[in-house]
Amino acid sequence: MATIHEGLMTKSALLVAMVACAAVLPAQAPATLIRNATVLTVTKGTLPATDVLLQDGKIAAIGKNLTTPSGAMVIDGTGKFLMPGIIDPHSHMMSDATNEGSLSVTSMVRIADVLNPTAPNIYRALAGGTTMLNILHGSANTIGGQNAVVKLKWGRPAQAMLVPGAMPGIKFALGENVTRKNSNTVIVQGQAQAPRRFPTSRMGQEVVLRDAFTRARDYQATWADYRARLAKKEAGLIAPRRDLELEPLVEVLEGKRYVHAHSYRADEMLMLLNLADEFGFKVKTLQHGLEGYKIASEIAKHGAGLSTFADSWGYKIEAYDAIAYNVAILMRHGVVTTINSDDDGRARRLNIDAAKMMRYGGLTEDEALRIITYNGAIQLGLQDRVGSIEVGKEADVVLWNAHPLSVYASPDYTIIDGEVFFSKESDQKMRTARATERAELEKAEPNQAPSGRGGAGGRGGAGAPTATPAGGVR
Amino acid sequence: MVSLLRFAGAVTSFAIIASPLVAQRSSPAVYAITNARLVPVSAPAIERGTLVVRNGLIVALGASVAVPADARVIDGTGLTVYPGFIDAYGTLGMPSPAPAAAGAAAGGRGGGGAPGAAPSAPNSTQASGLQPEVAVVNELGPEAGAFSAANAAGFTTAMTGIGNGVFRGSSAIINLDGTNVSELIVRNDMAQQLAFSRGGGRGGGGGGFPGSLFGVFAAIRQELLDAQRYREVSAAYAKNPKGMVRPAYDPSLAALQPVLARQQILVMAANSQREIERALDLAKEFNLRVMIAGGSEAYKVADRLKADNVPVLLAINFPRRTTAPAADAEPEAIRVLRERVEAPKGPAVLQAAGVTYAFHSGGAFTDFLANVRRAVTAGLSQEQALRAMTTVPAQLFGVADRVGALEPGRIANLTITKGDLFAAGTTVSQLFVDGHPVTVAQAAAAPAAAGGRGGGRGGPPGELQGEWNARLAFDGAEHDVTFTFRQENAVLAGVLEGSFGSAELLDGTIAPDGTFRFAAFLMHHDGPERAQFSGVWRDGVLTGDLAVPGHGASRFTGSQGH
Repeated sequence: MATIHEGLMTKSALLVAMVACAAVLPAQAPATLIRNATVLTVTKGTLPATDVLLQDGKIAAIGKNLTTPSGAMVIDGTGKFLMPGIIDPHSHMMSDATNEGSLSVTSMVRIADVLNPTAPNIYRALAGGTTMLNILHGSANTIGGQNAVVKLKWGRPAQAMLVPGAMPGIKFALGENVTRKNSNTVIVQGQAQAPRRFPTSRMGQEVVLRDAFTRARDYQATWADYRARLAKKEAGLIAPRRDLELEPLVEVLEGKRYVHAHSYRADEMLMLLNLADEFGFKVKTLQHGLEGYKIASEIAKHGAGLSTFADSWGYKIEAYDAIAYNVAILMRHGVVTTINSDDDGRARRLNIDAAKMMRYGGLTEDEALRIITYNGAIQLGLQDRVGSIEVGKEADVVLWNAHPLSVYASPDYTIIDGEVFFSKESDQKMRTARATERAELEKAEPNQAPSGRGGAGGRGGAGAPTATPAGGVR
Repeated sequence: MVSLLRFAGAVTSFAIIASPLVAQRSSPAVYAITNARLVPVSAPAIERGTLVVRNGLIVALGASVAVPADARVIDGTGLTVYPGFIDAYGTLGMPSPAPAAAGAAAGGRGGGGAPGAAPSAPNSTQASGLQPEVAVVNELGPEAGAFSAANAAGFTTAMTGIGNGVFRGSSAIINLDGTNVSELIVRNDMAQQLAFSRGGGRGGGGGGFPGSLFGVFAAIRQELLDAQRYREVSAAYAKNPKGMVRPAYDPSLAALQPVLARQQILVMAANSQREIERALDLAKEFNLRVMIAGGSEAYKVADRLKADNVPVLLAINFPRRTTAPAADAEPEAIRVLRERVEAPKGPAVLQAAGVTYAFHSGGAFTDFLANVRRAVTAGLSQEQALRAMTTVPAQLFGVADRVGALEPGRIANLTITKGDLFAAGTTVSQLFVDGHPVTVAQAAAAPAAAGGRGGGRGGPPGELQGEWNARLAFDGAEHDVTFTFRQENAVLAGVLEGSFGSAELLDGTIAPDGTFRFAAFLMHHDGPERAQFSGVWRDGVLTGDLAVPGHGASRFTGSQGH
């Protein structure tokens, strides 16, 4: 696998260099036929002993006894479970920066500028069946930066991981993480104290939002005026200044950019929904939303989704009122709800978090799978492309060795756009190759300590494990 | 300091006007180096020849050149004469950091202290660190002995720039002998320099926007967009000011105009593969003429660099293990082991891919020649290596008519070795800079080379040894770590332990004035990240900066543990 992917990486790097960087065509993988698996389609029920054909990056056919196209790789799915790739709607993985905490409005910063396609956690998440991430700015300020939606195509350049056509988004944040910035009392000897930054209260956060969107409206009007004059062919026109802070907020006002709002308490969520109604935009998702169950009807009425934790609470004051039934209550009220990781470790076992929701609130199997797949696709505006196993959808699928809602399950294959990006078999080979490589490298001259002080010898050739597949670990 | 320099500058300009032909020194200087092996680089080597220097210039060289009657003759038997080497990127001649007073408030420009004083740009409307109008020519002020380590490595010439900020202003090509701007400058307004971290004195840890890597990208993008609009508005006003509100003058946006117009090169500091790719993306977005400086992983991006036609100013500062691992240390990341083995092969990879590259020392003067030889052992030809420190940088910097080759009419910058440069153990025995002999502090290298530096600062504070407790302000949080240092002469080794795991200190050096540098791999949530520490040890306190690719500039302070 290592060698295969390194080869591919060079090729795709060339491809990216030759084709314009923005629009990367999905690589053409050979066809793959998964035979005789239990197919968890998520949207169309469970299909026993079914074949799924992946071709040209898409799910080409679902059925019994499908013909194998020539040259296709065949994977025996007998006794195994095929489900759509897991979508993690809230991640900070593979980002070389998390917060631009200096200002209260930092809509000008972009996660896409700082992606790290070599972060080992990408591979580890693949080993847990995760194929897509919504990478978000942190929660240090009321209006944070622009998100990036990626597929975890390990070994490829960052540009090839960005999902073309994904709806752009932006992170907002309410509550304690925003105000906490100002209660920093740690004064390091020799360091200046962090300057206080408005706002220091939830009221202040509303003011920041109101001010920012008021400025965005003015900016929108300035450009509208300019464009109108331009259309009338007025002479001597100079375009208004482009403002990278306000441009994304105008996109929010125009419904061209999703708002993903970090929030915990019912009151702050209501404030945001009301403010959004007032300015005429939609909040796409409330992130965390631990008190969402208190205002489920109001959230449903606005049309917002909510992405939360399965069972994390009490870790700060605003997380005290969390309950494990949050997901189920929201689902029953018609809110598109997901479970997210917000953590590189948890991103490897989201299937277990989903399974917990059957225990707390009695979600069906399909519903439990939905909160880590199809609902995530809806929250990213990609429900027509990913999130379920249906003909014509992008071939992001995971073949598990047991039912994915079991603690004993782990992926045998993780496939994105029809290409295998993780398999247990190649992982094993890679471990051996790594151990050999490490032993070689440790013998090399630049890895020896100078002047014969011990050197690197004897430190055990066995390489560190390259991945911890999810499930069956604890 | 600045006003003194300006005064000195004014006096020297006057002197130049008085005797225009003698730019550098008053005494006429004619030298003939005889019986030497001459390697012009731009032409085949002359196995036994004579080279004549007059009034700062090479006037003749060849196998049968007559020795002028007024020349001082240097018997070059056993010596090889090369064109003076060019250090293609760095901060040579910039004032060293002011002692970072503990407890100093950050002031308007943030961080305080650490590498390089804050350049002056009092009228800028831009955020701290985004002043392209600053210029090395206004800041240059070499201390006594500032060039001795570079000279010992064979460098007679360098591109030098300001060491902090995002937009770092105009760099200059300087000759490495002299005390003031008038003597040093070979070409001013060389390139605009850029780094993706504010670094040191201009608003490092102190706060303010931009305080993160993506903030830096946003700030650069906004400033370039503003500069584009400034161009448009200024042009409209110039065409017909009647009835138009006068555009506000902005020195920062004005300084970016040559960069936008592709008249001035933008040198972008980028090392890792992803840093280089991001820099190239930005260059493409704004159609800029760029060079990459640093480029430690440039060999991984060779095809793209070739396709984009972007030259690399390549740091020949290869990583290697410097100390034995501690008994209980974790195995090193395979990435670290790989990088040490692959890095010396980098220049040959770039060569094969057809990428244009010039060498720079990366500040590692002591090891420079040894590292060049490592690159040659790893597949680069000697001729290619030699060009990368002579003719290629001269061409890249538009000074090939002045430096970079032994040819009559060029500046007499000569690097002279006893024996062949590429033979193990060969050292630089003598330099000529601007036609004047410069004695090289002999090999025992680092300590001696750095010796002259900071002599006036009360001598070395002793050896940096033992346990030190330090606090890093990193990614908006405070982290406590322990350094265990071992200093042997100018080499600083040891380990770092604490919230980032346990890491060996790499490539560590310390100068007699207490300034030190080392790198360490910090265990971060996405795996190990190479952090570059630079700071000063003074009055029992360590202070300095650490730079981690992808993270905002950070500070550290430390004191001796018990």
